[in-house]
Amino acid sequence: MSSAKLSPADFQPLVSNGIVQQISRPSLSYWADAWLRLRKNPRAMASLGLIAFLLAFVSLGPALWRIDPSAQDLDQIGIAPGADRTVTLAAPFEPWNPQQQPATLSDNSLGFTLALPASTQAVRLAWAATGATRHRLYRNVFDPETTGSLGLPLVERDQPWFEDRLDLQSGTYYYTLVPLTADGVETSGAVTLAVDVIRVISIAQARERGLITADENVQLGQRLKLAWHPLGTDYLGRDMLARLMYGGQVSLFIGIFAPLAFVLLGVIYGSVSGFLGGAADQAMMRFADFVVALPFLLFMILFKVIFGIGPGESGIWPMLVAMIILLWPAPARLVRGQILQIREEGYVSASRLLGGTTAYVVGRHMLPNTMGVILVTITFQVPSAIFTEAFLSFIGMGVAPPTPSWGAMCNEGIKSMLTRPHELMFPALLISITVLAFNLLGDGLRDALDARMRGVE
Amino acid sequence: MLWITLTKRMSPNRQLAQFFLLAFAGVALLMLTLHYAGSALSGTTSDVSAVDEDANSISIIIREEPPQLNSSRATDSISGMVLGHVMEGLVRMGLDDRLEGAVAERWEVTPTQATFWLRENAKWSDGQPVTAADFIFAWQTALKPETGSQYAFLLFTIQNAEAINQGALPASELGVTAPDPYTLVINLARPVPFFDKTLVFPTFLPIREDFYNATNGRFGADADQLLYNGPFQISQWVHGSSMTFERNPYFWNQAEIHLDTIHVPYITSDATASLNFFKDDKIAITGLQAENLIEAMRMGWQIHQHRDGTVFYLEFNHRQGRPTDNLNLRRALQLALDMDEMVYKVTKLPGYEPGVSLFPGWLMGEERLLRQEYPPQKITPDASLAKQHLKQALQELGLSEPPSLVLLAGDNPISNVQSEWVQQTLKTKLGISVKIDKQIFKQRLAKMTSGDFDLVLAGWGPDYNDPLTFGDLFASWNKNNRGQYNSPELDALIDIAQSRLQPAARMRAFGDIQQHLIDQAVVLPMYERGVTYVVDPRVRQLKRRVIGPDPDLSRAYIDVSGE
Repeated sequence: MSSAKLSPADFQPLVSNGIVQQISRPSLSYWADAWLRLRKNPRAMASLGLIAFLLAFVSLGPALWRIDPSAQDLDQIGIAPGADRTVTLAAPFEPWNPQQQPATLSDNSLGFTLALPASTQAVRLAWAATGATRHRLYRNVFDPETTGSLGLPLVERDQPWFEDRLDLQSGTYYYTLVPLTADGVETSGAVTLAVDVIRVISIAQARERGLITADENVQLGQRLKLAWHPLGTDYLGRDMLARLMYGGQVSLFIGIFAPLAFVLLGVIYGSVSGFLGGAADQAMMRFADFVVALPFLLFMILFKVIFGIGPGESGIWPMLVAMIILLWPAPARLVRGQILQIREEGYVSASRLLGGTTAYVVGRHMLPNTMGVILVTITFQVPSAIFTEAFLSFIGMGVAPPTPSWGAMCNEGIKSMLTRPHELMFPALLISITVLAFNLLGDGLRDALDARMRGVE
Repeated sequence: MLWITLTKRMSPNRQLAQFFLLAFAGVALLMLTLHYAGSALSGTTSDVSAVDEDANSISIIIREEPPQLNSSRATDSISGMVLGHVMEGLVRMGLDDRLEGAVAERWEVTPTQATFWLRENAKWSDGQPVTAADFIFAWQTALKPETGSQYAFLLFTIQNAEAINQGALPASELGVTAPDPYTLVINLARPVPFFDKTLVFPTFLPIREDFYNATNGRFGADADQLLYNGPFQISQWVHGSSMTFERNPYFWNQAEIHLDTIHVPYITSDATASLNFFKDDKIAITGLQAENLIEAMRMGWQIHQHRDGTVFYLEFNHRQGRPTDNLNLRRALQLALDMDEMVYKVTKLPGYEPGVSLFPGWLMGEERLLRQEYPPQKITPDASLAKQHLKQALQELGLSEPPSLVLLAGDNPISNVQSEWVQQTLKTKLGISVKIDKQIFKQRLAKMTSGDFDLVLAGWGPDYNDPLTFGDLFASWNKNNRGQYNSPELDALIDIAQSRLQPAARMRAFGDIQQHLIDQAVVLPMYERGVTYVVDPRVRQLKRRVIGPDPDLSRAYIDVSGE
C-alpha cells in the first residue's frame, strides 16, 4: 500500500469539459458518401463530364451556331468536313445558244472542243457537224487511258454541241466523243478532252446566300469563300453540325424524359404493391405481366392514330406516351422486390414498434434503401430509350422531315455510307458516345450507391 | 478457373479493354462461321455464274417476284418482263424498236376492222398449235368482270368490250371472230389508228381454254400452272427466291434464240446487293445508283444508259375546296420549283432529263419526234413572279397567309430526297409549309384515288407507243386522273386525238393538249427517268426497252471473242 498525500482539491468534482468523444471527420451522409465514391471512379466521372458536354452541345450549341438545320446549301451537297470552299464570281447561268455564240473548233479529227470556259454551272462542248450525224458523249472522272472505260454515257445527240450541267464539281473531267453509225453502233475515232471545271456562283446567288452584302462592290472573277460547314453537309446540303445539335435535342429529350417518367411510375406502382403484399400484390403484379406482353410498336402506331397525328407530323409525343405506358413494369418489379425484402428487416420492425407511421417508415427507411436501384435503372434505361428513338426514326415512325434526330440522320446516312461516310459516322458516333456514357455512369452509380458497400474503400 | 483469377487481379480498365477485345474477336469469328455456313447451305444458287459459256446460260436479277403470271391480270413491269420471255402475242417490238409480227405473220388495220393472219408453225409448249381461239379466249377472260383485270380498258377499242367488262353483255358477244383457226378478225368499237401498237401489252397474250380450265383457278400461280408459247419456258420457280427459264423446244423461231438457260438466282430490290453480285460475277447486269458511279468508273466498267420512257410529275388535287384547285396557286408553284436544279443538283442521277412537258422526248410525232414538231414552252423559274401569283391566290382563296399543303410521296430514297427538296424550296421561296406523307405504293395509290392529298409525286409509264398513252391522262373520264382535273376544253382536244385518223390532226391535238397542261398548270413535269446500268461485256443483244419486256434477253447471246 502506498501512501499518498491527499489534498482537498482532490475531492473537487471534475469539471465537465463537454467533449467526451471527438469525431475527427464530419459525418458522412448517404449521398455524400456515394458522391465521394463516385468521384474516385474515373470512368464514371469521365462519363458525367461527357453527358454534361452533350447536354451543353444540344442546348447551348444552337444559340452559338446559328444555322438553320433545314436550310439547303445546294452548292455544297454532301461535302466532307474541311472541303475546299473557294468559289469564283461569275455571270448568272444562261442557256447556251451555239448558233449565236459559235465556237472555234479544235483541229482534232472530230473538231471536239470546249466551247466556253468550263464552270460548275455548265460545261459547253461543240464538235464538227460534218462526218457522222450522231455522236455519243461520255464523261469520266478518271483518265480513260488508265481505267479502260469511257465512263458515264451522258447523251446521244444529232446536234453538234452539248451543254452538260449534271452534278458538276470542281475538278478535272474527261469527256469522250464517239461517232455513231446510223444504227447507233460506236465507230472508231473517239476523241477525249480533259476539262478543268472551276466552282462559280453568280452575284445574285452570292447575295442570297449572304456571302456578300447587298451594297458591296464586287467584280466578276473575284474569289469568295462559300458558307462554312465544320462537319460537312448531308445529301441535301444541310449543315451537319446544326442538324446534330437539333437532332440531339430530340434524342436526348426522349432519352432523359421517358425513363424519368416511366421509372417514377414504376417506383410508385412497385412500392405500393410490395408494401401492401398478399393478394393485392399478386393482382398488381399479374397486371404488370399483362402490360409487359403488349407489343410496343403496335401501341406506338395506335397512339399515333389516337393523337390524331397526321402524316408528315412529328411522332415524338406518341412515342413518349407509348414508352411511359408500356415500359414501367420493369422498374416496378425491381422496386417491389426491394420493398418486400426491406419490409422484413429488423430496423423496419423497430421503427414500427417505436411508433413510426406508415408514411414515416416508407419515407425514412424504404425509399432511401431502394434509391440505388432506382437511380441505376434510370441511367440504364436512358441508352435504351435513345436506341428506341433512333430505331423508330430509322424505320420512319419518329420525327417528320425536315426535323432531324440522330436516328433519322443515321437512316439517311447509311445510303451513302461508302461514298460519304461522314453523314453516317457523326450521328452514329454521338449515339454511341451517349449510350456508352450513360452506361458507364450507371455502372459507377451502382457501385457508389450500394448501401452495403458504404464506408468500404 | 484461370480466367476468373486473372480478371480478379486486373484493374477495371484492363478488364474492360479485355472484354472489348474478346467481344470483337467473338463477333468476327461468328461472322466468318456464318459466312461459310451460309455459302455451304445455299450451294445451288451460288454455283451459277454471271455468264456460263459451257452451259450457254446467263444470270440476271429481278427486283421482286411476279405476283402471278396470268397475263389477263398482270399489271406490273416484272410480270411483263417474265411474260415477254415465256409468251408471245400477235405482234412484238423488234430489236430495232419497230413493231414486227410474232404469232401473226401479217396484219391489216382499217377504221372498222383489224385482221391478223397467224403463222401455222407457232406452238404451245405441249406441241399443240397456237390458234385464233386462244386469243379470243384470253381477251374474253380479261374482260369478264369477275377476273378483275386492271388493264381491261386497253381492250375497250374492241366492239362490245366495254359492255362486257361492265357486265351488261356476256363475254361471247365480244366483237372478235375466227373464220378459220389461223385468221383473227377484230371488229373495232371506233376507229383506232394505233390499234396494232396496243397489242404488245401482256393483256393481249393468248391463253388456251382447256389448260386454263384444268388449272382450277391457279392459272399462272406456279411454273407448272402455265402453258408457254414464247422462246423460253419456266423450268423452276422457287417462290421468293429464284427462277430458271429454259429454251422452249416447240418455239417456232429457234434460229433467233441463242441461249439455253436464263437463271434468276436472286430476287432482291437492294441496289447495293445487286451491285455486289455483279462484282462477284454472279449476275450479268445491274443498275447503278448515283453513289456507285465513281466506283463503276474506277473499276473501268462499260456504263450504259437507257431512258425507260417514264415521266414523273407533281400532280395537283383539283377537287373543289382544295387550295390547289386555284390556278394562281398552281402557277406560283410552277414558277417557284426549278426542275433543272432538282435534276442536276439534288437527284444527280445521270440519264434523268428535267421535265418540260407531260409528253416525254422519245414519242414520235407525225414524221419527227413529237417534241420537235410541237416544242413545249419552257417555264423560266421566277421567284418574284411566283410571289405575285401567290398573293393573288391568297386573295381569291380568302386566306391571310399561305396554306399548308400535304405532299403525298412514295417511300423510297429518291422520292424522299425530292419531297424534302420541294418542302424546303416552297418554304423559302413562297413561305408555304409542306407536310410530307410517305406511303408505300399500294397505300399511295389508295390515297390518290380517294383524293387525300394536295400534291403528289407521281409517274406514268407508257402502255403502248402512241402519244395518247400520256395524252388522255387528264381526261375527266380517265380513272388515272387522280386529281380529278375536269376541263371540257381539254376533253374536246383528247377526243380529237383519240378518234381522228389523220396523223397531222392528231399530232396538232397533242400539241394543244401539251400547251393546255402548261397554261393551266394542270401538272408540273419533274423529270423523265433514265436508267444507268452495267452489263457483262460478253453478253450481246441484251435489249433495254421503253415498251415491252425490259430487260429483254430473248435474243441475247454470249460472245467471248472480245475477251
